[in-house]
Amino acid sequence: MEQWIVVTIIITLYLGLTLTIGLLAGRKQSDSVAGYVAADRSFGLLVMYFVTGASVFSAFAFLGGPGWAYSRGAAAFYILAYGALGMAPFYWVGPRVAALGRRHGFVTQAQLITGRFPSRNLSGLIALLSLIAFVPYVTLQMRGAGIVIEAVTDGNVPIWLGSAVAYGIVIAYVLSAGAMAVGWTNTFQGIFMVVIAWSLGLYLPNALYGGIGEMFTQIVAERPDLLDPPGLTATGEAWSWGAYSSFILVSAVGLMMWPHLFMKAFTAKDDDTLRRTVILFPTFQLFLIPVFLIGFSGVLFAGSPPSSDFILPFMILETELPALVVGLFCAGALSASMSTGDALLHASASVVVEDGVQQFVDLDEHTQRRLMQGLVLLTGATAYIFAQDPDSSLVLLLASAYGIIAQFAPPVLAALYWRRATTRGVIAGLIAGAATAFFFWQNPEYKPFDIHEGIVGLLVHIPVLIIVSLATEPQTEEHLDAFFE
Amino acid sequence: MSLRTARVLAAGYHLAMLYFVTWPGILPFAKAEPLVLGLPFTMAWIAVWIAGSVIVLALLDRVEKKHRIDGGGDA
Repeated sequence: MEQWIVVTIIITLYLGLTLTIGLLAGRKQSDSVAGYVAADRSFGLLVMYFVTGASVFSAFAFLGGPGWAYSRGAAAFYILAYGALGMAPFYWVGPRVAALGRRHGFVTQAQLITGRFPSRNLSGLIALLSLIAFVPYVTLQMRGAGIVIEAVTDGNVPIWLGSAVAYGIVIAYVLSAGAMAVGWTNTFQGIFMVVIAWSLGLYLPNALYGGIGEMFTQIVAERPDLLDPPGLTATGEAWSWGAYSSFILVSAVGLMMWPHLFMKAFTAKDDDTLRRTVILFPTFQLFLIPVFLIGFSGVLFAGSPPSSDFILPFMILETELPALVVGLFCAGALSASMSTGDALLHASASVVVEDGVQQFVDLDEHTQRRLMQGLVLLTGATAYIFAQDPDSSLVLLLASAYGIIAQFAPPVLAALYWRRATTRGVIAGLIAGAATAFFFWQNPEYKPFDIHEGIVGLLVHIPVLIIVSLATEPQTEEHLDAFFE
Repeated sequence: MSLRTARVLAAGYHLAMLYFVTWPGILPFAKAEPLVLGLPFTMAWIAVWIAGSVIVLALLDRVEKKHRIDGGGDA
């Protein structure tokens, strides 16, 4: 049997299993908004751990991570550094958010913020900014899935078909079962990804160079510039420390502000589960090490992939691994793409309906749930169209997505910890921060010290929030007590 | 250990981590060699800080849990 047929069979089995798990998971869930969006707040430690880990590790980590290690060397280490930093504050923030969620019935981030700072416009603004950051992110996940399938089937399954089948399945289980399906499929996909990454990451350096240390010794000897921190830019020049450090900072601040991750705080069964997820999360981060090793193993390899993002499928195919391994790898990469894509689709629909539409039109629970399901389809279809026609501006938009998302951190922290903050202060800060980030993204030549536009945005955002809050009338004690107590 | 001390130490660890994995704290450790367990020095340096984060948070959790059980409401 030809290799691509074996590979296709394995992928089909894998996708069938994912669909089954996704559909079965939703059967125990209540037919309410809290059920669809927050899985009736029922997730235990195992599911929470993998939901969080697998949603963070997307096609970007699985394909982009090795791509960076391969083409930009030490620059990739920034991806390793920020996760633990971004997650640690949630040991305290997470349970606080969860407690407020239980008390007031919040299921989204904007509901938490506007529970403290009542404003329909603020809610709509958060929904809009979330959606702007979400669509390109989903698009890249879909394209990632399509690229992997096309590469390992020798082009017999083209991108349009591969991404349509993979995401048809994602949409099917997100539509029918919501958060519960996302949780259980991510657990399955997370385990799969970790096993595949470690086995290939340890196998390739050994098979090609006779060991990990041996591989790096050879890279240092032949490409010393690559491993010299902070690594290289996309065009092969030395990267700046300002960019390297601010990428870590903006990613750490933005990490848990992504609505699809923040909302996980509302899905946990209890505070202990949430805290343990935070404690264990850095162990998921270490899984980037084998992923980078795969990328590094391509550096001194004869021949090169069409673009650095293809380094992983390229290495798998060039080293003539058995078809079974290629198929399993492909399923691992699909896991990475789909486990983030499903969370993104689910969160974007929940956010747009709950925080956008529902604020201006009154809908009953049943209609809300139907509307969310419609939006999952619409967002999926929009991203699918973009995924077929790779528009370079979308990739640029994704790079700036973290700059937008990081702007959610000050409103969230102000809502939770600063009693003197006011609604006007928060709106003014958010607009000023997002506008600044947008300006420096459009005009990178003005960025001071090559610092990421999201950080420059925060440097404007925070003072505006504080000054406008202090200049406006404080919130009443009754309102504050009702929110906190 | 008191709750306050544990929290200050845990927060302090992560601030120190932020300092030592970005500029300028990373500079003395920003080098490819010597290799540590086969990995470039900087990569191993960051991995050690991540592993430390798991330990620090686990210890913090023990102290926090003890205080929650001993009666003192959650802060």
